[in-house]
Amino acid sequence: MYQKLLIGFLVFSLLIGVFVGGTWAQTLAAIQILRIAFDAADLKTLNPHYAAATMDRAVVDMVFNGLVRYKPGDIAQFEPDLAESYDVSADGLTWTFHLRKGVMFHPYDGNDGYELTAEDVVYSLNKSANKETSAYAGEYTGLSFAAADKYTVEITCENALSPSLFLPKVADYAGGFIVCKGAVEALGKGFKTHPVGTGPFMFQSYSPMQKVVLVRNEKYFRGAPILERVEVWYMADVNSRKVGLGTGELDLIEGVREQLWVNAMKSEANTAIDVFGPGETEVEYLNATAGPLKDIRVRQAIAYAIDRNELLAFIGTDVATPQYAAVPPTLAGGLTKAEVEEAGLLYDVDRDKAKALLAEAGYPNGFSLDAVITERVSYRRPYENVQAQLKRVGINLNLQVVDHSTYHSMIRDDVNPIVHYECWRPNADVFLTRFYHSDSIVVTGAKPDTNFSHYTGIDCLIESARVELNPTIQAMLWKTAALKLLEDVASYPLYILQFVFARRSVVDYGYELQSTLALYPQINELTRILKK
Amino acid sequence: MISYTVRRILLAFPIMLAVFTLVFLLVRVAPGDPAVAALGDYASQEAVEALREKMGLNEPIWTQYARSLYGFIRGDLGSSLITDEPVSRQVGTALPYTAELTLVGILFGTLLGIPIGIFTALKRNHTIDYVGRAFSLIGLSIPAFYMGVLLMIAFSLNLKLFPTVGGGDLSNLGSNLRYLFLPAVTLGIIMMAYITRMTRSSFLNVLQEDYVRTARAKGLAERVVIYGHVLKNSIIPIASVIGVYSIVLIGDSVMTEVVFSRPGLGKLMVGAMKQRDYATLQSVMIIYATFVVVINLITDISYVFFDPRIRYN
Repeated sequence: MYQKLLIGFLVFSLLIGVFVGGTWAQTLAAIQILRIAFDAADLKTLNPHYAAATMDRAVVDMVFNGLVRYKPGDIAQFEPDLAESYDVSADGLTWTFHLRKGVMFHPYDGNDGYELTAEDVVYSLNKSANKETSAYAGEYTGLSFAAADKYTVEITCENALSPSLFLPKVADYAGGFIVCKGAVEALGKGFKTHPVGTGPFMFQSYSPMQKVVLVRNEKYFRGAPILERVEVWYMADVNSRKVGLGTGELDLIEGVREQLWVNAMKSEANTAIDVFGPGETEVEYLNATAGPLKDIRVRQAIAYAIDRNELLAFIGTDVATPQYAAVPPTLAGGLTKAEVEEAGLLYDVDRDKAKALLAEAGYPNGFSLDAVITERVSYRRPYENVQAQLKRVGINLNLQVVDHSTYHSMIRDDVNPIVHYECWRPNADVFLTRFYHSDSIVVTGAKPDTNFSHYTGIDCLIESARVELNPTIQAMLWKTAALKLLEDVASYPLYILQFVFARRSVVDYGYELQSTLALYPQINELTRILKK
Repeated sequence: MISYTVRRILLAFPIMLAVFTLVFLLVRVAPGDPAVAALGDYASQEAVEALREKMGLNEPIWTQYARSLYGFIRGDLGSSLITDEPVSRQVGTALPYTAELTLVGILFGTLLGIPIGIFTALKRNHTIDYVGRAFSLIGLSIPAFYMGVLLMIAFSLNLKLFPTVGGGDLSNLGSNLRYLFLPAVTLGIIMMAYITRMTRSSFLNVLQEDYVRTARAKGLAERVVIYGHVLKNSIIPIASVIGVYSIVLIGDSVMTEVVFSRPGLGKLMVGAMKQRDYATLQSVMIIYATFVVVINLITDISYVFFDPRIRYN
């Protein structure tokens, strides 16, 4: 009787398996090749410790892993990646990572690929911490790395760090990507255009100014990807990308972060639009040490003169959400509208008040300022809108449009009294340190960076929060700092601009996309192309 | 003739040196920093400084100039500041795509433009003349990048006849021609418009000459009059305009390559410009300058063949 039941159960299981497997196969397109096109003429670097542009981050994301990773599609959560677990000492100074066994690096230069060990991880993190070999070295100051055994890595911090500050340093972002020691040493400069990691896709070829081809990593530790190949195309013209998507030559394209474009693409057949976060903060930084802006009443007048709603209507509510403080509300230490309003620092538009403040500051007829702005639309359009709004209270911004690279050089030379800056940073500490710590003041700071406001008022709060291990107190310190910035009108946050991509509706990412630090809809082992 | 050609070729060297110097200075005088462009906005000033040092940008400009010039004279174009790829390899990859595009564009424009110009001149003030002139006016008025997008929408998006993404496989003639067709037509239409108008105008001038009337009066067949007398005498201005507009076409090829994502010199140049990749940018601009010098030389030499009265001393 039991034997019959067992046989019956096995036959039933087999049938279910065949049915499910058949259905799965039926849903997949015969050709699993994904072609993505980015707004770029060419790659810059595929060395993960230098990659900063969207098109480079995308390739790096597919080729490399971190010790931990942001959950695909949701940056609010961390999960294990190359490390299957980790623990932190009671004093918070030592983090120990236990590596997965059997993780293989991709083949390179005659080498079939070898198993990842603690030696590679230590080498990689030391590379990230070295300013000669990484653009992110500053993030690793005060950390030291050691291999306790073949599969255990210990990271020691000079000062204890909370998880929200420590984990991004070893996650799948920027300096946290783990490179293959053997490949870096063997390929030398060539590593820049021939990345070797442990990720779901392996580098196959690079055709300058055209594309990078990645192929499935059959030995990927989470299982072989469904996609056989990913082609990353460099296409600077948005109309060409759109036509390519329409003809089916492309499957996923970087879009334009504007309402009009989103609306136009929504009407395209067989096309889906992805508008996702975390986006980039769009902020006006006010130089409080030069010209009329020295007077806080003038900076307050600027804040009262700008109407965020008008700006959002101009940019588009699908692609932009208002931002009320230096740290976005999605990060620990960020402030919501209600919190800012409660503190009485919302600066809701009031142009009469703005004019009165200007008059009080000795500028009853307003004044003029010269400024440069990049030709890049996502900077230029809001800045022109702000220009128009300020004009209504008598502040004339005389704009000179320059190319993007020039703009970044010029604002770092401190030419602009009001700097528009678009960016995302992984946590409140990085936002506050790089934009508001006195060390970061452009040109004259101890470590000149992007403190365009020349602000010096929250150094203490930033430094206290950095070493605070209690997440609640740490967030409180960051919020206090953000409120102080609003009080002093060091800057005026405008909105967060989301990322926009369009894809053929048969492309299934394999996860729910809400936000990603990879800055593109991540392609991983679960991504697939369905039948039409 | 040979000595003239040799002299012109020798003269090209100081021209190239002047272009090299001008380009070297211009790309560096323009604001912008390759290190900032390469690292993006996330990088700290410290990282930017480290990269500037590595790129050799902190050396005095004359040291950089001397090193670049010495390399250029030896045929070493250096390496891209951004990707570290040897520029010669980048150029070697891109050049065939641009060369075939411009060549086919010029051929397309010339081979269609001359007959249409002759035909409209011979049918002056007939419907066909008006239609030809209207079309050439359209060709003159539409910028290459816009024409490219229109052709893409018509022939790729709607009719699904030609691909739009990339340059195809150069080793596969069929694939190569499919990818080449629309970009070459984009450039060719504009070239054709110029040549049509110049041919028509030149032809009409010559048609009014006394010797044409005489040829007709003595009973020569119209075909002999047209091809034996009119065409030969109107070809010099046509050759000039082909030379001049071939240079315009090379300029147009830059945006055409961007629109069709062809990995040619134009795309390389635009990318290098955006990223302040001095090494790549100056090499590509020198190559474009060489194109211009060569086309001018060919145009000048062609006069001798078209008009035996011309002799160079």
